[in-house]
Amino acid sequence: MTDADYFGLLGVERRWRLDRGALERNYLERSQASHPDGFIGQDSGTQRAAMERSSQLNQGYRTLRDPVLRAEYLVKLGGTDLDSSDPRTGAPKPSQAFLIEMIDLRERLAEGDVAAVREEIEARAEQALDAGIAALDRGEVAEAARELVARRYFQRFLDEVDASEERPT
Amino acid sequence: MAYSTKVIDHYEHPRNVGSLDKNDEDVGTGIVGAPACGDVMKLQIKVENGVITDAKFKTYGCGSAIASSSLVTEWVKGMSIDKAMEIKNSQIAEELSLPPVKIHCSVLAEDAIKAAIRDYQQKHGTPAAE
Repeated sequence: MTDADYFGLLGVERRWRLDRGALERNYLERSQASHPDGFIGQDSGTQRAAMERSSQLNQGYRTLRDPVLRAEYLVKLGGTDLDSSDPRTGAPKPSQAFLIEMIDLRERLAEGDVAAVREEIEARAEQALDAGIAALDRGEVAEAARELVARRYFQRFLDEVDASEERPT
Repeated sequence: MAYSTKVIDHYEHPRNVGSLDKNDEDVGTGIVGAPACGDVMKLQIKVENGVITDAKFKTYGCGSAIASSSLVTEWVKGMSIDKAMEIKNSQIAEELSLPPVKIHCSVLAEDAIKAAIRDYQQKHGTPAAE
């Protein structure tokens, strides 16, 4: 990629609060400019480069327009990859107390009371995202990473709740 | 993704699902998580005269994570805690034919059994090895 990151690629400022209008506009303009159809008849290297750029633009747009993915991407640019388990550069491990709470939550779920638990965890997932964004705004990447990891645990839990409700009994 | 038959077997018929009393002096509890995906694993052992006599687990995660913890509880029953401490994630991954993207599930299971043993040792004032 010639541009350093998705923000540069799509011509928007590198921060969580972004100009949605500019993102949409630049995405459409730049996608059209590098659409493979415009390169038919040119040498294969040029065609391939256009295709790669298109695919980068699509990936960048998908990442930046999503509030969670955008936050996680900023953390990644800050040096912490939440998709990795590497102890140094990967997602930070949550505290033992937090993990115990995650187990207890499942037990509360098994006892019934699905609606109340879901509501509580949805709220906490949102709080974790907000706290992560606030930390990013302050430039505290490690803190943002911790909050976003907590959000993933909450999200994972909510996905399980959804799956259990869809399952025919 | 294609799971191996052993993973599917453990996933569909997990061994030793459940809990032991974490306040029991003879019980060690290990709780570990995989931050990248949000999996949580609780593994407990009951130890008598240095030998693991019972093991239970609860894993909230993918099929490979469930299979890895199920397999470990099966393995450690009847094993001395010293021997159980030597279990390597590579042995788990090999037994279950885990693909590279699922290796971290076996790492989680290794971490869980080690954490359970350390918890037991701490209860008994044995300095945690390592």
